[in-house]
Amino acid sequence: MTTEPERAGSIYDLGYRSYGGTRLGRRHAVRTVYVESLRSAFGLGRRASSKVIPVILLVIVLLPAAVHLGIAAASRQQMDIVKPEDYSSFVEVILALFVAAQAPELAGRDQRNRTLSLYFSRAIERRDYALAKLGALVSAMLVLTLVPQAVLFVGNAFTTNDALEYLREDAANVPRVLASSVLVSGLCASVALAIASRTPRRAYATGGIIAIFVGSAAIGGILDATVGRYGIMVSLFDLMTGATYWIFSAEHEYEVATELMFAAVVGVTAISVGLILRRYERIPA
Amino acid sequence: MAIVATSGLTKRYPGATALDSLDLEIKPGIVGLVGANGAGKSTLLKILLGLLEPTSGSASVLGFDALNERAELHQFVGYMPEHDCLPLDMTATEFVAHMAQVSGLPRSAARERTAETLRHVGLFEERYREMRGYSTGMKQRVKLAQALVHDPKVMLLDEPTNGLDPAGRDDMLDLVRRIGVDFGISIIMSSHLLNEIERVCDHLVLIDAGRLVQSAAVATFTGETGVLAVEVDDGVDELERRLTGSGLRAARQGRLVMVALEGGTGAYDLIRDAAAEMEVGLVKLQQRRQSLEDLFRQGEDGNDNGA
Repeated sequence: MTTEPERAGSIYDLGYRSYGGTRLGRRHAVRTVYVESLRSAFGLGRRASSKVIPVILLVIVLLPAAVHLGIAAASRQQMDIVKPEDYSSFVEVILALFVAAQAPELAGRDQRNRTLSLYFSRAIERRDYALAKLGALVSAMLVLTLVPQAVLFVGNAFTTNDALEYLREDAANVPRVLASSVLVSGLCASVALAIASRTPRRAYATGGIIAIFVGSAAIGGILDATVGRYGIMVSLFDLMTGATYWIFSAEHEYEVATELMFAAVVGVTAISVGLILRRYERIPA
Repeated sequence: MAIVATSGLTKRYPGATALDSLDLEIKPGIVGLVGANGAGKSTLLKILLGLLEPTSGSASVLGFDALNERAELHQFVGYMPEHDCLPLDMTATEFVAHMAQVSGLPRSAARERTAETLRHVGLFEERYREMRGYSTGMKQRVKLAQALVHDPKVMLLDEPTNGLDPAGRDDMLDLVRRIGVDFGISIIMSSHLLNEIERVCDHLVLIDAGRLVQSAAVATFTGETGVLAVEVDDGVDELERRLTGSGLRAARQGRLVMVALEGGTGAYDLIRDAAAEMEVGLVKLQQRRQSLEDLFRQGEDGNDNGA
């Protein structure tokens, strides 16, 4: 038993101090939601069990880089097993699993707890809130896409015979890695958040996100084999891979122009962002 | 200056009108917003917070338009919703500090004020525990704290005693009263329980079916009435008979005899004399105070007649 009534009596002796300090307003509020959401995407500031899935997926995403560097170190020569332009196609399923697991945490949690009315009655607009959540998930995805590339880049420089030569040659890849990571992260995060923001139910959201990534790949494959070569454009995984190849001007086996796939990724991302903003404009609070 | 002003405020849902051309002006202080369930209380509060868009009409709070100037306004408003709104996997400290920052307070100030505010609402060591294990009373205190932490100029409390047991209800009402009186923060508190409003509020706004029924100081409704309640230790019936016999309007009501105070204070003498002649003890002689319940009943009757 607590002793609440006694305590309630004793609090009356402490005076109230009003707040005369600075009020940082909207930008600070948006940054607060962004930071808190980014942390929660990795389970930071939550109980230990919330960290398990994001950490496991982060480790798996690093595996191709680790294996590549391990072989290169063992054979004492520079290897071409994992190329930067191929990286996202190796791990795209893991990337999809990450947004499937964490987008509901970012978008569904406040709906589930009915906290939205507290946010929207504060120094933050509905649109701000939506963009802060999206920004946080894109940033989390950038961690997953950029960290392995950075490991690969630095690792290659160390395992090669002439580090300077390697850096000079591969420096040209840095903007491409950045651009393709932004593209892949943007697509995964916006598609996932567009779905997750529709429901407070975590299971529905996670299932929906996995369904759209895996389902679109399956349907894309079938259409590609039956209807024609443009059928592959349905598959989100293939769109990401193709767009990445276009950014790297890399060789590929797609029968569709990769600039078209790049345009499709931009288009799908834009539509998803629109759906997210519309959802938060209308969501009851 | 009015803290809240609405003009022609209307909110229609498909098949229902929640607010019907409401004109309202609320002055600073502790204001009770009363009405039956579904009268439009929550809808009004949500419109004042910019959470809902009115169908037509306008509303302003602290001189800011509730819809178009909400970004500025929201720095100075605290809102305690009726429904659950706490993330139970967070501690009260984390949650309230987070909410303070979303209200625009810098991180260090948010932490400092969180500690103070949680102490003011009566949460101590338990504020470092996950809210999962909190009692309803503790959860309500956290809900109140997050509405208070950024030192708002006005707080909108939607049914703050919802779900509380009598002791918790008393605590919450004391807290609300204290925030209004000692902290000097204006409060608009909705409730469907009139005795709560009577206890806490200075001013009362009664709405029914989305329309304004009454807006006035609580004291006007709870003033003295022209009725004396008389209690004697024996012979209630005989007392009633005697008083009626001496020309007073008297009626028995349970163990009491109600006497109308008409034409001066002669009734007091007649009652004293009657009791003396009957040789019974006069236990109580009290002018009855009107309660808000009477007013509410009148309001309902009026509506029935009108319908």
